[in-house]
Amino acid sequence: MIYLDNAATTFPKPRAVTLAADNCLKNYSANPGRSGHALSVRASEEVYNCRKKLAQFFGAGKPETVIFTENCTMAINTVLKGVLNAGDHVICSGLEHNAVWRPLNRLKAEGVAFDTARVFLEDPDATVKSFEALIRDNTKMIICTHASNVFGTVLPIEKLGKLSEAYGLLFCVDAAQSAGVLPIDMARMNIDYLCIAPHKGLYAPMGTGVLIALKGIDKTLIEGGTGSLSMLETQPDFMPDKFESGTLNLSGIAGLSAGIDFVMSIGIQKIYQAEMKHIGMVYRELSRMKEVELYTDAPRPQSSVPVLSFNLKKLSSEEVSQKLDEKSIATRPGLHCAPLAHRMFGTIERGTVRICPSAFTSAKDIAMFLSALKNIESKAD
Amino acid sequence: MGKSIINTGTVTYALRGRDLLRAKGYSAYMFRTTGKSAVGCGYSISTAADAETVKSIFGAEGIKYISIESGEGQ
Repeated sequence: MIYLDNAATTFPKPRAVTLAADNCLKNYSANPGRSGHALSVRASEEVYNCRKKLAQFFGAGKPETVIFTENCTMAINTVLKGVLNAGDHVICSGLEHNAVWRPLNRLKAEGVAFDTARVFLEDPDATVKSFEALIRDNTKMIICTHASNVFGTVLPIEKLGKLSEAYGLLFCVDAAQSAGVLPIDMARMNIDYLCIAPHKGLYAPMGTGVLIALKGIDKTLIEGGTGSLSMLETQPDFMPDKFESGTLNLSGIAGLSAGIDFVMSIGIQKIYQAEMKHIGMVYRELSRMKEVELYTDAPRPQSSVPVLSFNLKKLSSEEVSQKLDEKSIATRPGLHCAPLAHRMFGTIERGTVRICPSAFTSAKDIAMFLSALKNIESKAD
Repeated sequence: MGKSIINTGTVTYALRGRDLLRAKGYSAYMFRTTGKSAVGCGYSISTAADAETVKSIFGAEGIKYISIESGEGQ
């Protein structure tokens, strides 16, 4: 199997990740933060150490700012529904995933207004200006993806952070596609809320979402047992317990911790450069194929993450992906849960085929993918 | 028992407090709060640091706690 669906979730996981999760399940899978016995304390230490790593990795400072969720979508919902109230206004980008867009539309029905800022692919300053032009007196937050999960386009997060700070707005970043891929420093970039999908660029098991919150969140999505202040009938008001009701995914968190170590041991920049080299090779070859439609300029360092979308003119994206799957090559067709992005690029009707390498992708994998695609193209008439 | 017992609401603050005290050179270990707390489950730290020192260190780092009890000395 040549796996090029790493934008959905990275596969395979590093051996250290599977070993860490396995070791947890076999040797200390007690409930963290609940009991006082040795195994529970061991479990609590694992969770706490992962919080520390995440806080350090993303420039967040204190470990209690790190909240474990089920996934990135839940992290985003926790922010939007916990912070926004009727009468508030929010600005998002035109490249958002449904993880942002659907909660905003749900909140719209409850009196929260939102606008969508245009993204200028080759002009970050124009993108920032399009956000600025939408700011109103009641604007409370800017929320945007760091990088498009369909086209790989990187938004000017640092500049948007400065804009948010200048206008006194909260700034929330959906880093599903960028965490572990691009450097993120919340303090330096003025990011108040960072939503992460660790099973992607941090090579963690699925079921390990993370929200890092440097500003307050008033309302909780759910309430319940936290292992703390159990006599109280109300939810604890301190972090992270306020947002962590129910038992945590300990084995997943153990895997996440090992995933961070894996990325740090190689280095974000080194992984990124290797993946961009693969994507650059694919782009060059695809741009020479007559039946291929590409939708972006050639991927450039810092302007793109290693995600590329394309189509073959005479086949649907689903047909191309299926034919690749028959050759044991995994890609993802369709709309990628991001209709806004597909509208922006004019691909809403047919979707695209998306590929994304990982740290485990080899030059041979890319050559075999290109060979298979050329074979499919030659038979498409 | 150490000089102080710090009762915290959550294991996260207890572990962070323990690590901080150790980093400052004080012995410290964490345990589940015994049945004294009026608010239910929680975690405590036993440390060789005295209460005033703990208040100072925790205050500077923003570590929240419910109460500090004086222990029996090292």
